Amino acid sequence: MVVGVSAKLTDVDNGRHPAAPAPPRAWRSALPAVGLEQQICAAAVRLVARWGIRKTTIGDIAKEAGCSRATVYRAFPGGKTELLLAAAAGEHGALLEGVADRAAGAVDGESALVAVITFAAHSVSEHGGFQFVLAHEPDIVLPLLGFGEQDRLYAQIAELIGPHLEPFFGGQAGWAAEWGARAVLSYEFNPSPVVSLTDEADTRRIVRQFLLPALSRFPSAHA
Amino acid sequence: MVDDGRVRVLDAAVACFGRVGIAKTTVEDVAAQAGVARASVYRWFPGGRDQLVVDAIGHEVGRFFEGLESEMAGATDLATSLETLLMYVHRTLLDHAVLQRVLETEPERLLPHLSEAGPAFLQVVAAVLLPIVAEASLTPGVTPAEATDWLARMVLSFTASQGRWDFTDTASIRSLVREELLPGVLSE
Repeated sequence: MVVGVSAKLTDVDNGRHPAAPAPPRAWRSALPAVGLEQQICAAAVRLVARWGIRKTTIGDIAKEAGCSRATVYRAFPGGKTELLLAAAAGEHGALLEGVADRAAGAVDGESALVAVITFAAHSVSEHGGFQFVLAHEPDIVLPLLGFGEQDRLYAQIAELIGPHLEPFFGGQAGWAAEWGARAVLSYEFNPSPVVSLTDEADTRRIVRQFLLPALSRFPSAHA
Repeated sequence: MVDDGRVRVLDAAVACFGRVGIAKTTVEDVAAQAGVARASVYRWFPGGRDQLVVDAIGHEVGRFFEGLESEMAGATDLATSLETLLMYVHRTLLDHAVLQRVLETEPERLLPHLSEAGPAFLQVVAAVLLPIVAEASLTPGVTPAEATDWLARMVLSFTASQGRWDFTDTASIRSLVREELLPGVLSE
């Protein structure tokens, strides 16, 4: 599970969850407090992976984080809701950062898309917190991913990941990011017995067969 | 006769969802709306309110699928079929007043059920598309089953989110289908 929220998340203003209010001021700054808030969020995510959102209390989170309830409330005056939204925003931001990193190492458009898609698919399928809530408390998470929210998510992904795909897809980089995201979400919510986007070969086939031709107006999309 | 009554109750439930929302809909409301006795509702839906909610949503989803199948009945080529499909989906969801109201006010009551309808959606769309895909001239290396699966998945994806496209604009839908969805599927 990727919880490595680095201290230099300065550009991830859009990394917060589309539906979330602005997270507490300091979690992505360089102030000492940021370590504590991250620690609390990480503890919350671990517990949600175990018991889900409804059964996880502030007291549990404080204990898991090794601090007092008062400390947790000082960091997140809005209580459990604010804390969990911040934690979700943090996980989401970390995922997008990881995806962006994967694009950086690629040699061509095909490899870039394969790398970002498999990374995203793997991260999502291995994320205990997300998988628990999706399986047992879908009424909590689906509104954050349904209809209008998905529009925002795709726009955000195009904006954040697009730039990292630009060397390969030029002006269509944002579109490439959106296609990749559609594929990841599709196979995450409706798994296939024959295709898994966590598998590089399966992903390469999908990218080559369906995604690259969608972007074929930009010449260097093909290796 | 029994089926008509049952359907009348399901339609009444959906009407109640639109009026007071899913959470506040009671068996009494639905019985009154349908013009039947409470006892009749419980006879058709022994699981009570909860079963009624699930079955009413399932009923609407079923109607959506039937409409989709009938819209696609005269389908000709693949590109036109996909355009028709996307327009049907967009128009039908937008025009569904109860759906739009529930999505705005209590999405958490509906989305888990819709999410469970995902596999059925893919099956219905794939069944409609497969004969058309099988007649088309496909790019080498792709099987009709693979192409159909991908296209069905993307139709579902675009049902949930238009993304950067504008489904009120037929030119936008044409561009999506002919320039981005189909190049990997159809040989030129």
